[in-house]
Amino acid sequence: MILLQQLINAVSLGGVYALLALGLAIVFSIVGLINFAHGELMTISGYVLLASLAMGVPFAASVAVALAGAALAAVAMERIAFRPMRGADVTSLLLTSFAVSSLLKVVFQNGISARPQPVSMPGWMTSATAFGPVTLGHGPMLCIALSICALIGLELFLRYTTMGIAMRAAAADFDVVRLMGISAGRIIATAFLLSGLLAGLAAMLWLAQRASVDPLMGFTPVLKAFIATVIGGLGSLRGAVLGGFLLGVVEVLLQALLPSDILPYRDAIVLSAVIAVLMARPNGLIPAVNAQRS
Amino acid sequence: MKTLTQAEGRETSLTSRLPLPATFRAALADGAAMALAVVLLAALFWATGDAALQRVASYAAIMLTAVCGLQIFSGNSGIVSFGHSGFVGLGAYACGILTMPAALQGATLRNLPGILAGHELTLGGALLVIVLFAVLVGALSGGPLLRLSGSGASIATLAILIITYTLLVATRDITRGSQPFYGVPRNVGLWTSAAAAAFALVAARLFRDSPVGLSARAAADDDRGAAAIGVSRRGAWYLAWILSVVLAFVAGALMAQFLGAFSPKDFYFHLSFTMLAMLILGGMTSSLGALAGVVATTILIEIVRRFESGAVLFGVELPSLFGLTDAVLALSMILVIWRRPLGLMDGRELDLLRRFGRGATPPAELPAIARQAPGGEIAAEGVGKRYAGVVAVDGVSLSFAMDMITGIIGPNGAGKTTFLNIISGDVEPSSGTVRIGRSLRGHSAVRFARAGIARTFQNLRIFGRMTVFENVLVAARQVEPDLARAERAAWRELALMGLDEVADRPAATIAYGLRRRLEIARALALGPRFLLLDEPAAGMNAVETADLVQRLAEVRTRRGIGIVLIEHDMRLVMNLCERIVVIDHGQVIADGPPAEVRRNPDVVAAYLGSRSLKAQQDNNQEDSPTEDTSQ
Repeated sequence: MILLQQLINAVSLGGVYALLALGLAIVFSIVGLINFAHGELMTISGYVLLASLAMGVPFAASVAVALAGAALAAVAMERIAFRPMRGADVTSLLLTSFAVSSLLKVVFQNGISARPQPVSMPGWMTSATAFGPVTLGHGPMLCIALSICALIGLELFLRYTTMGIAMRAAAADFDVVRLMGISAGRIIATAFLLSGLLAGLAAMLWLAQRASVDPLMGFTPVLKAFIATVIGGLGSLRGAVLGGFLLGVVEVLLQALLPSDILPYRDAIVLSAVIAVLMARPNGLIPAVNAQRS
Repeated sequence: MKTLTQAEGRETSLTSRLPLPATFRAALADGAAMALAVVLLAALFWATGDAALQRVASYAAIMLTAVCGLQIFSGNSGIVSFGHSGFVGLGAYACGILTMPAALQGATLRNLPGILAGHELTLGGALLVIVLFAVLVGALSGGPLLRLSGSGASIATLAILIITYTLLVATRDITRGSQPFYGVPRNVGLWTSAAAAAFALVAARLFRDSPVGLSARAAADDDRGAAAIGVSRRGAWYLAWILSVVLAFVAGALMAQFLGAFSPKDFYFHLSFTMLAMLILGGMTSSLGALAGVVATTILIEIVRRFESGAVLFGVELPSLFGLTDAVLALSMILVIWRRPLGLMDGRELDLLRRFGRGATPPAELPAIARQAPGGEIAAEGVGKRYAGVVAVDGVSLSFAMDMITGIIGPNGAGKTTFLNIISGDVEPSSGTVRIGRSLRGHSAVRFARAGIARTFQNLRIFGRMTVFENVLVAARQVEPDLARAERAAWRELALMGLDEVADRPAATIAYGLRRRLEIARALALGPRFLLLDEPAAGMNAVETADLVQRLAEVRTRRGIGIVLIEHDMRLVMNLCERIVVIDHGQVIADGPPAEVRRNPDVVAAYLGSRSLKAQQDNNQEDSPTEDTSQ
C-alpha cells in the first residue's frame, strides 16, 4: 500500500516536471531558446499568489491572478529581453535567458525577501483522505488531475485552433509559416504566454504541497525540467511530457527504494541514467521533426 | 601597451628565423605577448605590496586559468558549458586531499579510504596526479556529452554540474559533505597563479589555431560542411573537451591552495555563472576575449562590491543590496550580448604578427599540382532513397569516371541533390549500394571525404567565422599532416581560385561569388579524385559564370579528376560537360554526350511538357537545334 502512495507521489511530481518541460519545449520548438528564466516565472507566480492572498482576494481568484501573472511575465520577458535579439544565434539567446534568470533572482532577494514566505493554502488541499488502508494526499491527487487536464487542453488547442496549428507549423518550419502571412510576433508571444501559463500552473501545484515561496523556488524543478526536455527530445512536445513524467517517477521511486547510505547519490544516479539513455538515443525518446535543406 | 609592443618585437625576430608554420608562429607570438602581459601585471601588483590587492589579483589569475579552459571548449565548439565549475571543484577537492598534512587529515577525515589518506604531496606532485585524474574524467564525460549537439549538449553539461555537486556532497567520508573542507596548506600566491594563467592563455591561443582547434571551429561553424571535408565533429570536440577539463582541474587545485577552506556550494551555479559571465563579456571565441573578460569583470566586481553593503554616493545613502555584483554581471552580460555579440574583443585575437606586417603571406613558390592517377570511379548500383513515402531517388545505376566532367540536369525536385548527397556519403540510400573504389566501413560524409570524394553545397556551407585562408587550410590539413606543407597547399588553392587577396578576411564577409569559389577551393584542397558540385553557378552573373567555367575546365585538365556537377545553367552545362545525365522523378531518363541528350525526346518532354515536344520536333525539321534548351 505504501507503494501505491509512493506511485501517486511519483506521478504527481512527474506531472509538475511535465508541465514545466512542456512550457520549455513550446518555446524551444519555435524560437530555439532554452529559457533559463522559466523557473523565475514559477517564482513570480508564487509571489503573485502570496500578494493576492495578502490583499484578501479569495483563494480561487488568487490562483487565477497568479496564473495570469506568470503568463504576463512570460510575455513581458519575451518583449523586453528576447525580442531585441531576434535572429541571434541559439547560444546568445541561451546566455541572455541565463543572465535574465540571475538578475531576477537578485531582484526577488532584495525586493521581497531572501527568506521563504509561508503561503496559507486551504486546509482541504494539504489534508488527506483514507480509503481503507490507503491514505491519499489531496495535493498529489489534485496535481495529477490538473496536469492531465492541462495536457489535454493544450493538445486540443494545438490541434483545433488556427493559432495552435500555426504554432505546430512554426515548430516545423518558421519561415514558411511567416510566408503564409501569419505574424511571427503573435506566434512567439502566444508560445511564451502558454509557457508562462504552464509555469504558473506548475507553481500552484508545487505550492499545494510545500506552502512557501522563496526566491529560488523555481530553480530546482526547472533544472529537472531541462533534463526532462532533453530526455524526451529537445523541441518535441510529447517528448517533454514523457520525459517529465519519467524523471519524476524515477526520482520518487529511487527515493523510496534506495538504501539510506546510497540515498545522497540519488541525483547523480538519476542523471547518469539520463546520460545513458542519451547515449542510446541522442535525439531523445521522441525526437522532434525538423526540416533541413542542403 | 608600450611593453606589449616591445615584447612582440622580440617575438617576431625570434620566431621568423625558425621554420615554423605561419599559423603556429602567429599563435605563439600572441600567446607569448598575453603571457608576458599577465606576468607584468603580476609584477605590478607585487610591487604595490598591498596584500588585499594581491589576493584579488591571484584570485583573478586562477579564474583566468579556469576561464581559458572553458574557452578552449566553448569557444571552439560553440557549446556553452555549465559544467566546468564542477570540474574546478573536483580539482580543488583532489588537491586538498592530496596535499593536506596527514595529522590534520587523520583528525578531520576519519573515514577517508586508505588509498587516499596521508599522501602529503607537494603542489607539483599533486598537480601531476590531478592532471591524470582530469584526463580520465574528461575522457569519460566527453563521450556521452558529444553525442548531443547544440542546446542539448549545453543541458547535458548542466547535468554534469549537478552530478559533480551531488557527488561532492554525498561522499562525506572524503569531502566532509556540505560542511567546509579545511586545512589545505595555502601555498598558492600571486606568482603561482599568474604562472598558471600565463600557461593557460598560451595553451588556449595555440589550441585555437592547432589542427584540432581548426577542425573544432570548422565543425562549430557548419557541421555538414565540416563533414564534407572529412572533419569529424566529435573527434575534434572531444580533444577540446579533455584539454578544457584539465585546465579547469588545474585551476581548482590552485584554488584549493589559495583558499585553504571551501565547500561544494563554492563550485556550483554561482561559480558557473561567474565563469560564463567573464568569458562572454570578453568574447567566447578568442583567448584574448578570455583575458579581457576576466580583467574587465574583476575590475567591475571590485567596484560594485564596495556598494553591496550600502554606501554613501554624492550625499545619498544607498541601501545595502544583496547580490548586487551578480545583478551587475548579469546586466553587463545582457548588454554585451545585445550590443557586441562577439564580446568586448569582438572575437579577435591579438594577431600581432599580422598587425606588424609579418603575417601569413603566400609562399614565393607554390607547390605543383599533383595529377591524380587515373582509374578511380564512383559506381552507384540501383540506388534509391525514400523520405516517408516520397521517392526522391528511384533505382539509379550510374558510374562516373575520372578525368571527365559530367553534368546532372533535370527539373526541380527531380532528385538530383539527393543523388549527389548519396554519392558524397551524406545521405544513406534506402536501397542499392555506392562503391567508390575503396572499401569503406559505413556510409558517412566524413569517410567519403577521406576516401577522395569532395563536394560543394547548393546553399553554401563555408565556415563563416573563420578566415578565407583558414577555411581552405582546415581542408588541406586533412590530407597533409604537416602544417607547413598544408599551408602551402592552401595558398595554392586560394591562388588558383583567385582568392589570395581576401585570404585574411572572415569568410562570411566576402562577396557571394567569391564564397562560391571558396567552397570549391576548399573542396580541392582535399586533393580529391572526384569533385561533386551542387549548382556551382547559382546566383552568379554571366561574367562570373564564364570565369567559373574556365577555372573548372582548368581543374579537370591539370588534375585529371572526375567532376560531377548539378546545374540549371544550360549554357554552362553544354559548354563544360562531356557527358550529361538527365534525372526526372528520381530516375535516369537520358545519359550521353551533350549533343545526343539535347535531341532526346524524353528530355525535351521532361523540361517543356509533351505538347511542346511536338513543336520542338517540328522546329528541328526546319533548322538545326538552337543553343538553348533551358527552362
